[in-house]
Amino acid sequence: MHFDWAFFLFLMLLCGMALFNLYSASYPPKGWGSPPYLKQSYLFLMGFTAVLFILSFDYNELHIWNYPFYLFIIVLLVAAYFMGESAGGAQRWIDLGFFRLQPSEPAKLMLVVTLASYYSRKEVLDGYSIKQLITPIVLTAIPFLLILMQPDLGTALMLGIIFVSMTVFVKLRRSTYLILGGSGLFAVLFAWQKLLKPYQKQRVQTFLNPENDPMGHGYQVMQSKIAVGSGGKFGKGYLEGTQGHLHFLPERHTDFAFSVWCEEWGFFGSLFFLGVYFLLLLWGLRVAMYAKDRFGMLLAYGVVMLIFWQALINILMILGLLPVVGIPLPLVSYGGSSLLTTLMALGILMNVRMRRFQPGRGNHQEDA
Amino acid sequence: MKDKRSFFTELEEINEHDDSALDMLRPRIILAAALIIGFAVLIFCRLWFLQISNSDEYINKAYNNRVRISTLAAPRGHILDRNGIPLVTNRPSFNVLLIREDSKNDEHLLKKLAGVLDVDVSQLWERIREASNIPLHIPIRLQEDIDWQTLAYLENHNHEFSGIRIEVTPRRVYHFGDLAAHVIGYLGSISKEELKKQSGGEYDGGDQVGKMGLEKLRDEVLRGEKGMSYSEVNARGFEQQLLKREDPLPGSEIHLTIDAKMQQMAEEMMNGEEKSGAVVVLEVNSGRVLTFASTPPVRLQEFIGGISQQNWNAYLNNIKTPLLNKTVQGLYPPGSTYKMITALAGLDNGIITPETAFYCPGYYRLGRRIYRCWKHSGHGAVDLKRAIAESCDVYFYQVGQQVGVDILAEYAKKFGLGQKTGMEIENEQDGLIPTRKWKRQRYNEKWHEGETLSIAIGQGFNLVTPLQMAVMTSMIANGGKNYRPQMVEKIIGPDGNIVEEIKPELIYELTGLEESLALIREGMVEVVHGKRGTARIARVEGLTIGGKTGTAQVVKIAVYKNMKEEDIPYKFRDHAWFTCFAPAENPEIAVTVLVEHGLHGSSGAAPIARAVLKTYFEDRLTREGQEKEK
Repeated sequence: MHFDWAFFLFLMLLCGMALFNLYSASYPPKGWGSPPYLKQSYLFLMGFTAVLFILSFDYNELHIWNYPFYLFIIVLLVAAYFMGESAGGAQRWIDLGFFRLQPSEPAKLMLVVTLASYYSRKEVLDGYSIKQLITPIVLTAIPFLLILMQPDLGTALMLGIIFVSMTVFVKLRRSTYLILGGSGLFAVLFAWQKLLKPYQKQRVQTFLNPENDPMGHGYQVMQSKIAVGSGGKFGKGYLEGTQGHLHFLPERHTDFAFSVWCEEWGFFGSLFFLGVYFLLLLWGLRVAMYAKDRFGMLLAYGVVMLIFWQALINILMILGLLPVVGIPLPLVSYGGSSLLTTLMALGILMNVRMRRFQPGRGNHQEDA
Repeated sequence: MKDKRSFFTELEEINEHDDSALDMLRPRIILAAALIIGFAVLIFCRLWFLQISNSDEYINKAYNNRVRISTLAAPRGHILDRNGIPLVTNRPSFNVLLIREDSKNDEHLLKKLAGVLDVDVSQLWERIREASNIPLHIPIRLQEDIDWQTLAYLENHNHEFSGIRIEVTPRRVYHFGDLAAHVIGYLGSISKEELKKQSGGEYDGGDQVGKMGLEKLRDEVLRGEKGMSYSEVNARGFEQQLLKREDPLPGSEIHLTIDAKMQQMAEEMMNGEEKSGAVVVLEVNSGRVLTFASTPPVRLQEFIGGISQQNWNAYLNNIKTPLLNKTVQGLYPPGSTYKMITALAGLDNGIITPETAFYCPGYYRLGRRIYRCWKHSGHGAVDLKRAIAESCDVYFYQVGQQVGVDILAEYAKKFGLGQKTGMEIENEQDGLIPTRKWKRQRYNEKWHEGETLSIAIGQGFNLVTPLQMAVMTSMIANGGKNYRPQMVEKIIGPDGNIVEEIKPELIYELTGLEESLALIREGMVEVVHGKRGTARIARVEGLTIGGKTGTAQVVKIAVYKNMKEEDIPYKFRDHAWFTCFAPAENPEIAVTVLVEHGLHGSSGAAPIARAVLKTYFEDRLTREGQEKEK
């Protein structure tokens, strides 16, 4: 076995802290349902079971399973759009009875796998031309548009970021860069003018000047900054944060969960947490570095980028450096779909790590 | 499947290229790591900025976020009468406050609240608009003094009313209704000007402050000191817990010199017949005020929480001028009550002796004019005592004429007429005692001899207040001592200690008048007890009273001269005076009654004085009565 115990223990530490924090962030629990931290604990168990399951296959199997998964996710996204549960004007969830699935979350991982698979199969050593990128662009655009229609701008943008991260990673022709860059810029301008809903524009504008709208969108950013800043050097102590517990901090157990940590543990606590978090990501890049094949490398890199960008956007938002977009902090924010997706992604990463010495493609018997 | 085969062939091809392809991509992983580390550094810097270098600011903000500082109104000091009977105390009242900062949905919330409070939504909006320039976290009062049912409903459904809080404030209770309303005064919300004028920041907007009477004059001791409460609130504005509380310090108690029973009797007598006027009772040897009534009264209840325009207009348009405190603001010719001054001036200047008699044929001729006595048939020969007892005008015309207006004025002033008494009360008027010099300055005219005759019997330019008349009566009774009228006896702090005790203040004492004053007093006793005295109606069994009636002409229009009194329009009827002291042997109190348009001192004013005197001497009178029965 080449199971990476160090990585696993690191991950357990991070997940432990996240759960610990969630207890505080959702305390006191409201309503009669099971409290978020308990629910999240079950999901951690489910997630780690999924990790073990993923580890039992060779990641190269994903080449085969990728397209059926892709279609399955697309069907779920369409289903979510037509019959999904509505929350805050957006249709994002499919109620599975025991679990409310948000298909846009696995869609992110699915895109990572899809692009990794595509770029590893269609290797172009002298750089991809724009023509050769049409397939990945289309593969990205379909879920992108479906999620945008929900509407969930944050998650849709995340797919775009994944596409750019992975496409820029493989070698492109110079002309391709120019065309991609140019059309990207054009798309942004076009989107701002024609596609963005007023409330979405509002968010961006509010971000630029939050004091203009202290009771509206700026409120969240301001309260989050107050939470983080008032944590000071050593924090207010576990369960002692006032911003969260007195409900000044909105969505404090979901998108703003990390604010609670910063408030209660202060500067050094936050550094410790982020230290663990970023070391895990860098370790993921090390996995990519020593992957035995292009697919493994692209997978590991893609998974790291998937988690990194979400984490970065979430943290910058919490620290008041980015507008409020609905991007969770992977592993830390409350939310089953995101947690399961992230753990599965890390499962794939660990899978790549485990099989770094095995030549050739996956062999079922070897692991069984 | 053919496709699948080629798919795997493809994969094998890729694997062959592996090493070189991977080597090419590895530097990009380093770049990605650099990117991650770069952002980590950015985050580090941001955390440093928020949590280290600027943490004080955010700690402060977090504190302000969660701590709502509210002031706790201090219970206002009670007002008691001389016997410790409470006149004004407090009860808790519940006000509905809105903290706009904590309120999420104004429109909907106010609609619902208006239903609960049973008021119009526009009324609530009005209150909010009034506060448009006040910071959002400062509560606005939407409704004052809600009832228990409303309070219970709001408390039980508080989760439905974000930003709505209930405030408990002490509210005035008037145990005797409008008793001594002009003295006590009322409270109102502090005005912008009053807020600006304050020096120590002791008032906040929305505070209740005294607007009239003692509530205003003694606001400083009555108001106490506000308390502060620091409570933790959540983002919806609901209080989570009390962090710290500094209890308010209640205001001090004011003990008045006023006797509630006498005051009540005076007001009942006046109001019973809807008389407009004033009743003043002074202790002659101290200047303490026992009764200080002005009618019709203001309805203090109507002023709580601000008087409505409608009620205010009703006050303004009332011909009986309830807003005027007639004890010190009402100016009336003293009428025959002034005759004591004329008599004194005559005696003291050697113009008359007690034995000097003048003949009264019912009129007096001066030059070409005839000046009438009120008794047209004439009094015949009258000496001083009789002149006072029967109020013979002709006698005083002659004394006055011989004394002259300036000396009359001198004596009037010696007895406190025509000048402020210096009592602690608002808007006290001077009145007017005319002199030759005054007329020249005021009208640039020569003084006419005939005018002196009018002055001598208390008509003409003379104007005095009922309080001045009471002071004059006291001075006659006590031998010439002018005490400053005093209404506040002592002030007792919330801890039970005396904050201030006000001792009687002798302003000055007239000397050399004892004999003359004794003569005057004799004459005044005759007024009540003499066979033909004008105020026999004021007699009280077992009590000797010295008094004087007076009728103050309002107009001199001949048209009304021969009309029946009831037919004269109210506003042209004469004012009725009665001023007296008792017991005559050893005077204790002076009672002055003025009834506006009350026609005659004897019938209009004396019965009221009698009732007040009976109340004061109640205990002694019954004792004597009991002795008599034995």
